[in-house]
Amino acid sequence: MALAAYRHVLRAMRIAFRGDLDMVQAARHQARHDFRRDMSLEPASTAAVKAIEHAEGVAQTLRENVVQGQAVSGEEGTYKLNIHEHTERGENDTVKNPRGKGGKVKVDTGNF
Amino acid sequence: MFRAAAARALRVAARPQFTQQINLVRPQIAASLLRNSQTTPSLLIPSIRFYSAPAGLSREEVQGRIMDLLKNFDKVEDPTKISGQAHFANDLGLDSLDTVEVVMAIEEEFSIEIPDKEADAIHSVEQATTYICAQPDAH
Repeated sequence: MALAAYRHVLRAMRIAFRGDLDMVQAARHQARHDFRRDMSLEPASTAAVKAIEHAEGVAQTLRENVVQGQAVSGEEGTYKLNIHEHTERGENDTVKNPRGKGGKVKVDTGNF
Repeated sequence: MFRAAAARALRVAARPQFTQQINLVRPQIAASLLRNSQTTPSLLIPSIRFYSAPAGLSREEVQGRIMDLLKNFDKVEDPTKISGQAHFANDLGLDSLDTVEVVMAIEEEFSIEIPDKEADAIHSVEQATTYICAQPDAH
């Protein structure tokens, strides 16, 4: 369970921070630190289940809601965004009210 | 009448191909005429790429690359114990989180994505080598 969550977090980092080696390193370090900290928890305990849930949430947010931008050299105020297939994109009429009728915010190409 | 039209059509149809072929070589020739051949010798060889048939990975190569990757992994307690048969936990002293990291690193090394179920089953260099060898996409 926890191992799968760890793998998902690492994968999400790879997707969200593609091409940004420093960020990938730092994020991995953080994930490693947090997972090690919770290693002593009983696998069946509520705290452990909560921690895994948190990790899966982190993975999902990283994968779907984090988009990195890189300044385009020579053009002030222009950024190239790393929008990928997993990035969450809403329709114009549902994005303002994702919980409303027809408010399906997920991208249909995402396979999670 | 018809024959002449057909012949003309054929000639027209054949022409683009012909000019395309010529174009492959012509820029280089023109460039070589313009430049001094003494200063720019070997760069003007027509740049045509040749692709070999997919060769696949040999078992030794896969094993070697996995072992190299482990050598660079700072959690390995005793690098001399890295071998083709080494077990991640028993021989190299890696815990389960380290194993996940190693499997992820192997994924990156061979540009593939290992599904969770298969990834959980990889606990040794030998298992990883066998898995990679069975993947046609690995390179």
